[in-house]
Amino acid sequence: MKGGFSAPGDYIYFKSQVPLHKIPIGTKQWRYYDFGPKVVPPLICIPGTAGTADVYYKQIMALSMKGYRVISIDIPRVWNSQDWVQSFEKFLDVIDVHHIHLYGTSLGGFLALLFAQHRPRRVKSLVLSNAFLETKYFAAAMPWAPVVNWTPSFLLKRYVLTGIPSGPHEPFIADSVDFVVAQVETLSREDLASRLTLTSDAALVGPLMLSDSLITIVDTNDKCAIPQQLKDEVSERFPGARRAYIKSGGDFPFLSRPDEVNLHLKLHLRRVGVEAREDLVPGIPKAGDDGGSGSGAGGFSEPKDDREDAPNEESNPESPSNNEGQPPLDTQNNDSHNPDNQPLLLEAIFEKKEVVLATCAWHFMLQFFVIYYQLPVSLLILYINNKRHPHIRLFV
Amino acid sequence: MPSRRRTLLKVIILGDSGVGKTSLMNQYVNKKFSNQYKATIGADFLTKEVEFEDRLFTLQIWDTAGQERFQSLGVAFYRGADCCVLVYDVNVQKSFDDLNNWREEFLIQASPSDPENFPFVVLGNKVDVDGGNSRVVSEKKARAWCASKGNIPYFETSAKEGINVEEAFQVIAKNALKSGEEEEIYLPDTIDVGSTSQQRASGCDC
Repeated sequence: MKGGFSAPGDYIYFKSQVPLHKIPIGTKQWRYYDFGPKVVPPLICIPGTAGTADVYYKQIMALSMKGYRVISIDIPRVWNSQDWVQSFEKFLDVIDVHHIHLYGTSLGGFLALLFAQHRPRRVKSLVLSNAFLETKYFAAAMPWAPVVNWTPSFLLKRYVLTGIPSGPHEPFIADSVDFVVAQVETLSREDLASRLTLTSDAALVGPLMLSDSLITIVDTNDKCAIPQQLKDEVSERFPGARRAYIKSGGDFPFLSRPDEVNLHLKLHLRRVGVEAREDLVPGIPKAGDDGGSGSGAGGFSEPKDDREDAPNEESNPESPSNNEGQPPLDTQNNDSHNPDNQPLLLEAIFEKKEVVLATCAWHFMLQFFVIYYQLPVSLLILYINNKRHPHIRLFV
Repeated sequence: MPSRRRTLLKVIILGDSGVGKTSLMNQYVNKKFSNQYKATIGADFLTKEVEFEDRLFTLQIWDTAGQERFQSLGVAFYRGADCCVLVYDVNVQKSFDDLNNWREEFLIQASPSDPENFPFVVLGNKVDVDGGNSRVVSEKKARAWCASKGNIPYFETSAKEGINVEEAFQVIAKNALKSGEEEEIYLPDTIDVGSTSQQRASGCDC
């Protein structure tokens, strides 16, 4: 991939047309696109571990042209499912949307389901691609999860990328993989660590209040990183859901089969009663950005009591700190995104003192350092590289 | 539970507006019929699990709008079609005359790899109407047309009474399966050639 990837033309066009939003909410940084008429209840796209908001650019372009509002997000740095539900709710409050339709793929599908379970009033419908209901399979495939916060970035990236099925792909699927790989390169260590923690943190999707008829499953029928068994569990849980299968498309059908995915998204939105406002399309940049809050989302009258359904979460939504179940993190304390630089740093410090230190002491220190820092890392490298779980691979 | 992928078979139903495409699909999938006519907007689909030769298949049946010639939805739903069902109303001459256009339209839009042998099935619907007295297209004429287009299987159906619907869709599924499997055998060969370098470029063959 190094240097070999050049952004596709329609992506460059997308970047020139659609502004990227970055806002801090509480302790979280949110990165998202929001495009299309603000009066239309939005379809919010949630990507998987290896994704960013950008992976849905084909949906944003196509659906906004048809008069739909599409929001696509980066999964924020959350560390467990509660954290996710609360953060996402705050995000929705801040951007002033109340009723939403979610499109979640792989990890994003799992997160969409969790949110629908815990905030049933807000989620009006769901579209899922390659989603799953619980994390235990991934947790089992990742016994090193407890040290994920100390794992250097390059290893995390490597681990995430090995989850993408290798083998010959047809050109569109190969392009979609290239695009996603390029997106993974943009992710920071903390982003990856939080997502891997999310997938290995024990959690499962409980019963939903949403009727099956408001769920569409857009799975691909070919090879995919999510084990078929997990996808079957989703289908079995929602027997009344629409099965909008696509023959092929791999892990990222929204990139490799955009026409079909967009068609299914449009059919879904039409079915669940979202009316596109094609008449508002040409004026998107002007009509959109700030006027939306007052008149926006016409017809929504109960924004306040959305939270009362939360079955087991009594946390104050205003409090920015929710440390309950968080793993011991030191991610926020400095801006260093590359803890794997630490050996170099240490070495530099040692070098300064070298004149003063006796040579044997220096060797002792070095060995100490090798044993205590490098050895576990090398072992981890070995472990990750050699790990070949035949059935449960990391989802992407 | 064995987690085996089910083969997906995609079927597209085409024909003039009002010939009963939606009703045929509903009769087959849901065993329901409604006398009320509601024009299909764009396209929609239903799925049905079918068992055939001891294997389970997912039949994805696309019902299209007869009126607006699907411009609004583009060609996406044609992609990967395994069988195309052409429907006309035996009581309306024009709907029969238009079959040729629908067939051509499909071949252009779906551009199957082997257009000569792509499986079509023709259904002459509404044979129940008026006890067959208002019928204008004879079975003989219809069969002659089907024969001239490469022996397309032909059925006379009534979505309302459920006549021949099950039988017709059995053949549709069977033919779709045949074409779907040929496609599967054919694809790997085409994949291998150019994609090894692509794969390396993606950097995940580690």
